[in-house]
Amino acid sequence: MPSESRRSGRRGNLTLLSRALLAVGMTALVAVIVRLRGSGGTPPHRGGWRQLSVTDLEPMDQP
Amino acid sequence: MRAVLVGLGAVGARSARQLLSSKSVSDLVVLARKPALVEARVAALGASGVVRLEQLRPSSFAQVLAGAGVLLLAAPGPSGDLAEAAVRASVPVVSASDDPAEVRALLALEVEARRRGVSVVAGAGMAPGLSCLLAAWAVAKLDEVTEVHVATLGTGGPACARRRHAALREPVDEWRDGAWARKVASSGRELVWFPGHSGADCYRVNRPDPLLLTGAFPSLHSVSTRAAASRRDRFTSRLPMLRPPHPEGTVGAVRVEVRGRRAGEAEVVILGAGGRAALLAGTVLATAAVRAATGRLRAGAGGLASLVSAPGELLAELSERGVSILTFEGGETTPAW
Repeated sequence: MPSESRRSGRRGNLTLLSRALLAVGMTALVAVIVRLRGSGGTPPHRGGWRQLSVTDLEPMDQP
Repeated sequence: MRAVLVGLGAVGARSARQLLSSKSVSDLVVLARKPALVEARVAALGASGVVRLEQLRPSSFAQVLAGAGVLLLAAPGPSGDLAEAAVRASVPVVSASDDPAEVRALLALEVEARRRGVSVVAGAGMAPGLSCLLAAWAVAKLDEVTEVHVATLGTGGPACARRRHAALREPVDEWRDGAWARKVASSGRELVWFPGHSGADCYRVNRPDPLLLTGAFPSLHSVSTRAAASRRDRFTSRLPMLRPPHPEGTVGAVRVEVRGRRAGEAEVVILGAGGRAALLAGTVLATAAVRAATGRLRAGAGGLASLVSAPGELLAELSERGVSILTFEGGETTPAW
């Protein structure tokens, strides 16, 4: 009987350990997903790129 | 004028073409660690008699520099010793490196460069380089400038791709509220609209733009630098590169957002340029080199924003050489930086 109770106690410890490891693993997985996804903002809804001509660029250097 | 170019990769080769098309350069010496690997590229330049290929040897480097007008550094790896030897020989130095450690080594030559009256341009590529010029031009439009945010897309060549891979995992020093703040690499996701592209998610990377821009504009409150990256890029940045980078690099773009005040009102200036990243970097490198050789840059060590007194004039020259400079107009801006 004492060996039976020792065996069930060891099994209980193993179950606790595996559950703890599973919890840590799941937390890490969620953290990785959240970090890799995230939110990057919204695109501009109006406006656009305009090429600057040589005359657009040079006057800025005048004092 | 004789130019000495170290490295003939994707950026170096395009820089060589730009130099050869310049009236100022009559003679180009290309130095390579393994000349056999770049013989075909030298032949493709099609300027026999003008271009000479030699092996890069520390023992004979001083002889090659004798009488040279400028030294261009476009090879990966440490080049601080080469730059120091050039400055001691009173030869201006222009480097395309985007490695913060390399840039710091070049900036350390400030005192000697000033004493000799030569320029040491640290970061004359797409970013830093074109990014610094765009920022300097936008700063001149404002009465007061507070923030500069740089974002890039694409890489110039294999060395740039390897550097970007490392920059996505290295700790990032960002200028924030007037002090350096260490940030986690690949953090701070932002959706950035580049010229010629749809939006791309960009993340903090370890690049020297904040170092160079705060040196040029000490009153800045915040400077950040980001690069477009996919989830796979970020996830695998901790691992060795899973596949070799493209030998000619990728199509790229740079976007610079400058915030400040004009006539008492908040103002945002957004500038950008797009094209093959190696071509943008090579054109900036060659154009800056010709200016350094002809004494049209300030003496000392720094980025283009520090050493160029007329950024618009240099941007106009780049524009004439095929680099389209664009401004984003008419849209709202995202204040999420």
